[in-house]
Amino acid sequence: MNILSFLAMMILIITIITLVFGLIAYFLYKSRESHKKKYDKKLHYEEVLNETGDKYIFFEEE
Amino acid sequence: MRAFGKEKMVRTLSIIAVSLFLITLLGYILYNFYMDFFDIENVFVKAGSGLILFFTTIIILRYMFLLFFSILKLIFKSSRNIDLKKISTNRKITIIVPAYNEEVVIETSIKSLLEQTYPNLEILIVDDGSNDQTYIKAKKYEFDNGNRSLKVLTKPNAGKAKAINHGILNSNGSLIMVVDADSKLDKNAALLMSRYFDDEETAAVAGSVYVSNQNNIWTKLQALEYIEGLNMVRNGQAFLKLVNIIPGPIGMFRKKSLYDVGLYDSDTFAEDCDVTLKLIAKGYKIDFEPEAVAYTEAPENLLDLIKQRYRWTRGILQAIKKHKSLLWHFKINPAASFTMWYMLFEAVFWPFMDIWTNMFIIYVALSSGFSILIFYWWSMFTILDITGALYCVLVTGERISLIFYAIYYRLFFIQIINIAKILSTFEEWFGVEMSWGKLERKGNL
Repeated sequence: MNILSFLAMMILIITIITLVFGLIAYFLYKSRESHKKKYDKKLHYEEVLNETGDKYIFFEEE
Repeated sequence: MRAFGKEKMVRTLSIIAVSLFLITLLGYILYNFYMDFFDIENVFVKAGSGLILFFTTIIILRYMFLLFFSILKLIFKSSRNIDLKKISTNRKITIIVPAYNEEVVIETSIKSLLEQTYPNLEILIVDDGSNDQTYIKAKKYEFDNGNRSLKVLTKPNAGKAKAINHGILNSNGSLIMVVDADSKLDKNAALLMSRYFDDEETAAVAGSVYVSNQNNIWTKLQALEYIEGLNMVRNGQAFLKLVNIIPGPIGMFRKKSLYDVGLYDSDTFAEDCDVTLKLIAKGYKIDFEPEAVAYTEAPENLLDLIKQRYRWTRGILQAIKKHKSLLWHFKINPAASFTMWYMLFEAVFWPFMDIWTNMFIIYVALSSGFSILIFYWWSMFTILDITGALYCVLVTGERISLIFYAIYYRLFFIQIINIAKILSTFEEWFGVEMSWGKLERKGNL
C-alpha cells in the first residue's frame, strides 16, 4: 500500500466516523433543547387545576 | 525597531513562498483528479466524479475571486493612509446595545464602549425585559456630560429586533452603531467606521469579529473560521460594496437609511441579515472596516455551537425566503440578485453538495475499493483553507499556530456544521417550530 492509498483510507475512515458523529451530535442537541424546554416551561394555575381535576391546589411561596 | 521590521519582512516573504507552493500543489492535485476522471469507466462513478469536479472547480474559483478582491481592497486601503485625528467627529453616534439576560458580560461590554476614542457619543443600553441583574448592573454606569452620555432603557421582552428599534426611536445620533451585549470593542472602532459615511450612498458598515475565548479546539476552529470569513469573504465583498451581513457584534448604520427601510423586522431569526438585505434591495452600499474590531465569546462546546448554527441557518433561510423576489431582479437590481444567489449557495447548495460528495465517495470506496477520490477532495480543500488562513494571518497578525487547525477544520469541523445546516434546512422547509435559543454566557470576553 503506497502513502496516497494509506492517507485516502485514513481520511475515509475519519469521514465515516465524522458523519455518524455529526448526526448523533445534532440529535443530542435536539433532545437537550426539548428537555430544557419542558423543564423551563412555567406552570400556570389553570393548567394544573385542569390536570388535577378541578381540585384546589396550593403553590408554595419561594 | 529595525530588527522587528526585518523579522516581519521574513515572516511575510515566508508566508508568500508557502502560499505559492500550496497553490502549485493544488494545481497538481487538480490536474491528477482530471486525469483520473478520464480513466474512470463506470458511468455512474464517472457522472458522480464529474459533478464533484465541477463543484470543486466552482469553489476554487470562488476562493480565488474572493482572495483577488480582498487583496485589491487591501491595496486600495493601504494606498490611503488614515490619520485618525483628521476623521470628522461632527456627527453624533448612538451605540445601541440590546441586552437580554446578559448580567455576566454586560459590564465588560459597557467598559469597552466607554473607552471609545470617538468623542461625540451616546450609548443606549436597551434591557429587553431581562429577568437577571442586567438592568441593575448597567444602570450603575449611567452618566451625561453633554457630549457623551450613557442611558439604560428597559422594556418588556419582545426580541432583539424590537429592542434595537426601541433604541433607534430614542436615539439622538445620525449614525447608529449596533453592538451585541457579549461583545467587547476595540477603542477606535466607532471612529474608524464613522468615516465611511462621508459617502452618502453608504448605508452601513460591518466591523471585524474575533473570538475572545480561544481556549479549546472548538473555539480555535471558530477563530480560524472567523478570520477567514472576515478577511477573505467580507473584504472581498466590500470591494464590491456588497457585504451581505452586518454582524450582530459590530455594525454601524446611517439612521436615515434605517428609517428608509422601515427599521428592523421581527419576522426572522436573523434580523441582521434581513436588515442588510433590505438596504441592498434599496440600492445602498454596504462596506467593511477590518480594523474596527469586536471580540465576542464563541460557543465553547459542540452542542452550543450546533445551537448557534441552527439559528443562523434558519434565520438566513427565513431572510432569503422573505426577499425571494430579489433572486430574479437581475435587470432591476443585479447587486441584490447576486447577493441573494451567493447567500443561497452558502446556506443551502454548498452544505448539501459537501455531504453528498462525502457519501458518494464512501459508497464508491466501499463498493469498488476506489478511495483516492476522498484524498483529492479533502486535500484540495485543505490546501485552499491553509492558503486562505496563511493570507489572513499575514493580514491580521493573528497567531500562526491557527493555520494548523485548517487540517482539522476540513477533516471534521465543517462536516459537523454542514450536517447541522442540512438538518436545520429540512426543519425550516417543514416549518418546525423554533425559539431564539439564547446561549449561556461564560464571561470569557
